[in-house]
Amino acid sequence: MTQQHVNRRDFLKRTAASAAAVTLAAPAIAQNTDGRVVVVGGGFAGASCARALKRIDPKISVTLVEASHTFTACPFSNAVIAGLRDLKQQQFDYKKLEGPINVTFEPATRVDTDARTVIIGDAARLPYDRLVLAPGIDIRWDGLPGYDEAAAARMPHAWRAGEQTLLLRKQLEAMDDGGLVVISAPANPFRCPPGPYERASLIAHYLKTRKPKSKLIILDAKDAFSKQGLFLAAWKELYPELIEWVPLSKGGRVTAVDPKSNTLTTEFGSHKAAVANVIPPQKAARIAEAAGVADKTGWCPIDPVTFESKLAPNIHVIGDACIAGGMPKSAFAGNSQAKGCAAALAKLLNGEKPDEPKLINTCYSLVSPDYGISVAGVYTPVNGQWTDVKGAGGVSPAKAPRSDRALEANFANGWFKTITEEAFG
Amino acid sequence: MRPNHCLAALVILCASATSASAIDVAPAGAAACSGCHPASRAVETPFTRLTGRPAAEIVTAMQEFRGGQRPATVMDRIAKGFSDDEIKAIATWYARQKD
Amino acid sequence: MAAARALINVPPKARRGEVIGIKSLISHEMETGFRPNATGQLIPRNIIKEFVCTYNGVEVFRAEFFPAVSANPFVSFTTRATESGTITMTWTGDNGFHASESVAITVE
Repeated sequence: MTQQHVNRRDFLKRTAASAAAVTLAAPAIAQNTDGRVVVVGGGFAGASCARALKRIDPKISVTLVEASHTFTACPFSNAVIAGLRDLKQQQFDYKKLEGPINVTFEPATRVDTDARTVIIGDAARLPYDRLVLAPGIDIRWDGLPGYDEAAAARMPHAWRAGEQTLLLRKQLEAMDDGGLVVISAPANPFRCPPGPYERASLIAHYLKTRKPKSKLIILDAKDAFSKQGLFLAAWKELYPELIEWVPLSKGGRVTAVDPKSNTLTTEFGSHKAAVANVIPPQKAARIAEAAGVADKTGWCPIDPVTFESKLAPNIHVIGDACIAGGMPKSAFAGNSQAKGCAAALAKLLNGEKPDEPKLINTCYSLVSPDYGISVAGVYTPVNGQWTDVKGAGGVSPAKAPRSDRALEANFANGWFKTITEEAFG
Repeated sequence: MRPNHCLAALVILCASATSASAIDVAPAGAAACSGCHPASRAVETPFTRLTGRPAAEIVTAMQEFRGGQRPATVMDRIAKGFSDDEIKAIATWYARQKD
Repeated sequence: MAAARALINVPPKARRGEVIGIKSLISHEMETGFRPNATGQLIPRNIIKEFVCTYNGVEVFRAEFFPAVSANPFVSFTTRATESGTITMTWTGDNGFHASESVAITVE
């Protein structure tokens, strides 16, 4: 019953959309295209979506709007912080995309949903039949008392890779042996759920090898985290006495920071750090709010089959910015969603009904350079929400030989090469 | 809107109902594989390429991963999320893809 | 009874008449008593029923808890600093649960 109702509604919506397309998209038809898609954001989700669209239906005109000429990838940036990797290995450009895809290096500032136009830079207007927003995250600068953009220059978040990544690395390199490193981890949801704990692991690896008298404390606003059992067991094995995890129920939630004294305050105490890495609360990046597709949580509710916003028609939101139910905010999930969204868009623009999709996520974390662990999931829409397929997915086995951990570390490296090739060429 | 547009729209809708599609969209789950299994030959990774691989090989591998007969790190967990029909559709699609 | 860990935060010093913030958090699992176990039998209720704060022996704050209370309950409230002395917080609950923490405060 419900299913029929949805189908009918979708049918009506599509009929209306194609009628509108005929009147509005006349130039597109004249140029013999299947429609115009503008993708905002050239990260894992946006770049993958733009390329997937062209692969599936070369007749769709695709424009990618991205403010920066260089993309700096977050996955593996924890290895840069720990001195195991160069930032250059994280950086990609859009040269392989240009040609089939129109790439515009301007920030998208506004969306005129009625005129179906993206405003880029100061005034230039880009018309679309379908808009894909893959803007990633912004820091909530009002989310943690004391933590503003100036504070981030002293207490880096390093949660958007680039200068911040290098700043945290430099601070660790400059720290005396015996220093206290404090990581503040936010409450859910946030980009890369296992990220703070991989970071703690790789920083611990650096400290163990270079500054063994040092200590690392994770102040956490949660009582549970991704791959927790595996991380805790690995820390005990690799970094005994080095990492201390303070969960919410033990007073771990950071309530304020003071960049002048490099101090983090919790409900029950304060910690003066030699190096403080504050991972603050986050939200969908600004353009999502400007387009009216972010709800009061700061993230974007979507229809799981098409990724179309529940708040504005013809705008599809993918990657970290969207609310994808059981799917985490990860590069793999963003890439997976990008291809799902591209398939749905190609169908919609060809007047067809999108297929019922199924997506996968796999997230690798490195506990040390040769010790990898993973979490995987298979997802399908249930009651309008991306939901874990029962019996599938889960984390690496708790008891596994070190050779398996080494194999997973190797797979993690392989995954990075594959996914960046798929997104950026 | 001119009448012939309506006719065109109807023709497209009928075509989709009989699953003859103008575009080749990967079956459910298939597109996600290329997050690890590279489509391009240029990538040096330890992962098996699926593009152009015989369908029967992919089906056997997935079924053995799912049943636990084939050693795995992550594919056992992923394969459990797919039915026989879904595996077959994915395998057939990848077998058909060309470099 | 598992060892409980209580955290409390009371300013060590205050001016006479100042309104001070007090925070407390205790690790406790909180079982509602309404959940069945694997064999279908109800898991016995195990919650903290009462939280009391005294200031030099005089009760200044009391809270009663019910099965909907969260695990590891966090309680934050204010009181007026009147004199130097001891602030004591006590938690009591099912299965004879009892925990108490005291802290000194100097009022000038």
